[in-house]
Amino acid sequence: MDPLARLRAVRGRLAPQMEATAQVIAERVITLVIDAVDLNAILARIDLNAVLRQVNIEEPIDRIQINEVLARVDLNAALEQVDLNAVLRRVDIEEPIDRVDLNGLLDRVDVNQIVQQIDLNEVIVKVDLDAVLNRIDMNAIAQRIDVEALVEHTDLGAVIARSSSGIASGLFDAIRSRTVGVDEAIARWVARLRRRPYTGPPGPPAKLRAAAGS
Amino acid sequence: MIARAGGATPFKPPAAARESIQGHYAGFASRFAAFVADVVVLTGIFLLGLAAFNFAVRILTRESVHFDRSNIGVLIAYFAWVFIYFALFWGLNGRTAGGALFGLQVLTDDGDDVSGRRAIVRTVVFPLSFLILGLGFLGILLGDRRRALHDVIAATVVVYSWDARAARLRYLSYSSSPGTRPPGLTPHQPAHLSPQVEEGGQFPGDDMVPPRGQSGPSG
Repeated sequence: MDPLARLRAVRGRLAPQMEATAQVIAERVITLVIDAVDLNAILARIDLNAVLRQVNIEEPIDRIQINEVLARVDLNAALEQVDLNAVLRRVDIEEPIDRVDLNGLLDRVDVNQIVQQIDLNEVIVKVDLDAVLNRIDMNAIAQRIDVEALVEHTDLGAVIARSSSGIASGLFDAIRSRTVGVDEAIARWVARLRRRPYTGPPGPPAKLRAAAGS
Repeated sequence: MIARAGGATPFKPPAAARESIQGHYAGFASRFAAFVADVVVLTGIFLLGLAAFNFAVRILTRESVHFDRSNIGVLIAYFAWVFIYFALFWGLNGRTAGGALFGLQVLTDDGDDVSGRRAIVRTVVFPLSFLILGLGFLGILLGDRRRALHDVIAATVVVYSWDARAARLRYLSYSSSPGTRPPGLTPHQPAHLSPQVEEGGQFPGDDMVPPRGQSGPSG
């Protein structure tokens, strides 16, 4: 009898048991290791920006059928699970964005489809409009409005015309503006004689200027 | 707001015409015109007063009183009336009838209301500007604050109290609503409102608040 045949027989009987034992031990060890490791701590030590720098973002993006992916995603549910503020605090958004061809990306996105999936009412309810309005410089916006065009090309002009005391105010305006025109013509003439630049009527008195500034 | 149909004409408002001259020192022409208007008004009122006086005397005594320029009593009464007219209106709100017509207001040199006392001082020294061959008015043309001699003595200034920008918007509103356009405002005179503003460029203090008491067209 082949002496090795006995050993092979023994090995044939023991191998499955050994493999099963090893599997159990491995699973136990992995479980113990995972329990012992603080994944959050590890993630905290990872420089996400450095990782992002090493990734060629364009390549995977080109291979993704974005519209198909987005169609299968419940954006509302996904967004509710994400603490976006915590993520965004750790990411240098500018750098990856600089590397992305946003125009090319947006050309491939069906914006209408995305918008249809979003419950805008719910989003608006979450927005603190007071805080948003407080950050808006209404004066700067008002200064950008062409009031003259607004009056001339809209019904606002008719409203003003009807509400103002037409004939009297029109005549006063005409008389005053003509004399102011003469004032300025004289002032420019005098300035020219004195070889000084003329930039308009001087003034106003100090207290009026201060009142306007306050 | 509803866009007006047919308003396809390109609109390019003169930028500087949007500015207001309210609160800025008034120029020579406006002040002279206001003075002439005041003289017309106060003389007219004086003549009406003389006529009323004559009528009352005739009813009471059945005799008519004839006034002429050589009558010293009439001259004294006239100059007294002139004094009362200017002192009263400058002291009340800084505006005479002529000033209201041309949109002028008298303020103290730092922008406050004129007190009755200062109005009297201004009225008393007002003739000085005439008596030195009109040289007292040179300050309006040459001075940085456009002050005549009587302004310097009384520590007053004369400012525009009307809002050129509001006037321009009123004009544009008439243009957009032709049925409401008052007489004298024709489509051919869009530049009648502050033509100097359209040519003169930027004005300082265009955000000036209205001087006290003025708001309407008579302001």
